[in-house]
Amino acid sequence: MIACQTSGLSVAYHTEPVLRNVDFSVSAGAVMGIVGPNGAGKSTLIKAMLGLVTPLTGTSEFFGQSLSRVRQRVGYMPQFTSVDWDFPTTVRDVVLMGTYGRLGWLRRPGRAEKETAATAMAQTGITDLARRQIGELSGGQRQRVFLARALAQEPDLFFMDEPFQGIDAKSQRAIVSVLHRLRQAGKTVVIVHHDLATVQDFCTHVTLLNQTVVSCGPVDEAFTSEHLRHAYRVGDTEQGFFEPDNSRGPRVEVAP
Amino acid sequence: MSDVLGALMGPGAFFDDHTFRMAFFGTAVIGLVAGALGSFAYLRKQSLISDVISHSALPGTLGAFLLAVVVLEVDGRNMAVLMLGAVVAGTLAVGLAQYVTRATKLSIDAAMAITLSLFFGAGMLLMRIISNGAYPGKGGIQDYLFGNASVITKADLIASISVGTAALVLMVVFWKEITLRTFDPDHSTVLGFHARAIDALMFITIVIAIVIGVKAVGLVLMVAFVVTPPSAARQWTRTLPAMVVLSGIIGGLGSGLGAYLSIAVGGVPTGPLIVLTLFAFLVLSLLLAPGRSLITRARGRTRHRRILLRQLVAEREAHIEPQGSTTLPGAGQS
Repeated sequence: MIACQTSGLSVAYHTEPVLRNVDFSVSAGAVMGIVGPNGAGKSTLIKAMLGLVTPLTGTSEFFGQSLSRVRQRVGYMPQFTSVDWDFPTTVRDVVLMGTYGRLGWLRRPGRAEKETAATAMAQTGITDLARRQIGELSGGQRQRVFLARALAQEPDLFFMDEPFQGIDAKSQRAIVSVLHRLRQAGKTVVIVHHDLATVQDFCTHVTLLNQTVVSCGPVDEAFTSEHLRHAYRVGDTEQGFFEPDNSRGPRVEVAP
Repeated sequence: MSDVLGALMGPGAFFDDHTFRMAFFGTAVIGLVAGALGSFAYLRKQSLISDVISHSALPGTLGAFLLAVVVLEVDGRNMAVLMLGAVVAGTLAVGLAQYVTRATKLSIDAAMAITLSLFFGAGMLLMRIISNGAYPGKGGIQDYLFGNASVITKADLIASISVGTAALVLMVVFWKEITLRTFDPDHSTVLGFHARAIDALMFITIVIAIVIGVKAVGLVLMVAFVVTPPSAARQWTRTLPAMVVLSGIIGGLGSGLGAYLSIAVGGVPTGPLIVLTLFAFLVLSLLLAPGRSLITRARGRTRHRRILLRQLVAEREAHIEPQGSTTLPGAGQS
């Protein structure tokens, strides 16, 4: 079962190509890390699939259908720098926004939605912050608010854009534990990630991206030294570049 | 000083006068509606869109006037016709500014400035055409430039209240959608809400808020009614509903108070005095609001720096004590 796939996806900002003919698919139940150097088009890939950026060519499908038919099953956690954190609103209200999609136009959130939001806040450990104004939060707390908002949507497929950017150790543990829980629940996660050292901690699959797809598959096949050097355009003889530790086998169990 | 105060008209005499009453309640309604709805333009960081709208209201109103007099041959002073013209032109101007931003490499501020001057130029052209021609009911069209609160009639007030209420009702009905898109536009799109539909709704409410004020306040000063109250209200509030309500209250109270002062002092134009009153509210808010106050923040910063300096000196002393040295150079200054 394929959770999402895209074929022949190309995106250009003005005339500068960012993605060229990307073919990408994620099987249901996978935690797929999208890894690559700065400017590789990692965020753009997600945004183009979700219709936030208009691609030049290519189509994307989610659970075998177009996005507009399965929107409620697809959640999105943007980079936390994408909003104005001085906006006058509280943690609880932002998390509640995750439920707005299933409510549709005009219907207001009721008790069921508030309970969903409360559960999402508990899972990410931000229940104590519910009444805080979002501007008073640390970087890690902001990421957890966005994660809770995505959880409140209760999707089957999550897109997360750099959830570990600029966060503290506690927030990192909270997010990793949510990732593990999602995987156990059979959810699919697509996660843009830049820290090569921790990829193997929670990803079952990896896509190495640098404008085109360098490799895509289970971690032990796609996340190899050779592919990484190719993706990061590092010469074979250069020393000191990151070496994936595949000796112990995958640290996370790969879904069949 | 007592002479000045003695010359001020008391509230009793003020509210006995029909014209004064109309000026007070007319501007208060304008201030309330514009203040409440201006919050969204403020949070979208597009406060200046209100200037685009008010300037485009001029060709809209005058175009509607010409259409009414020349083509439809009805009374050119018909409020409904004039407002409709202004709403149509204001909406077109907002749409044009956003289209230019999307379609070209121009940024939103350039697009807004271009749209504003384009519509205002067209409006000035129409104004000259009308003042040169023999059109019935053309008196008072120059009021749209600088405003004239003393010409607010009971019919105007009723029109402002009903149209303003309609705009506020739209805001309340689509509160969830407008809030969602204002906070995180991408998230609202991913959740399946049609971005342009929400934007259209939101900007139409702002257009209405501005259109009802242009004649009394003038298109040049209208921007202050949309920008200043939300800026002041933001200092005191932590949630969006609170901000919108407080902004409406500040807008309504400030406008009424400004209108009262302008009449009570006598010989002072209403629009400018309202703008100054609203500005006073803003300055007080910036200085006094807890948490965001410029004064307490500056004080807090000074205190924290003093504590930090003391710590640094202590650390340094503890570190070099074995050598017998005592103070850090310059540590005595603060």
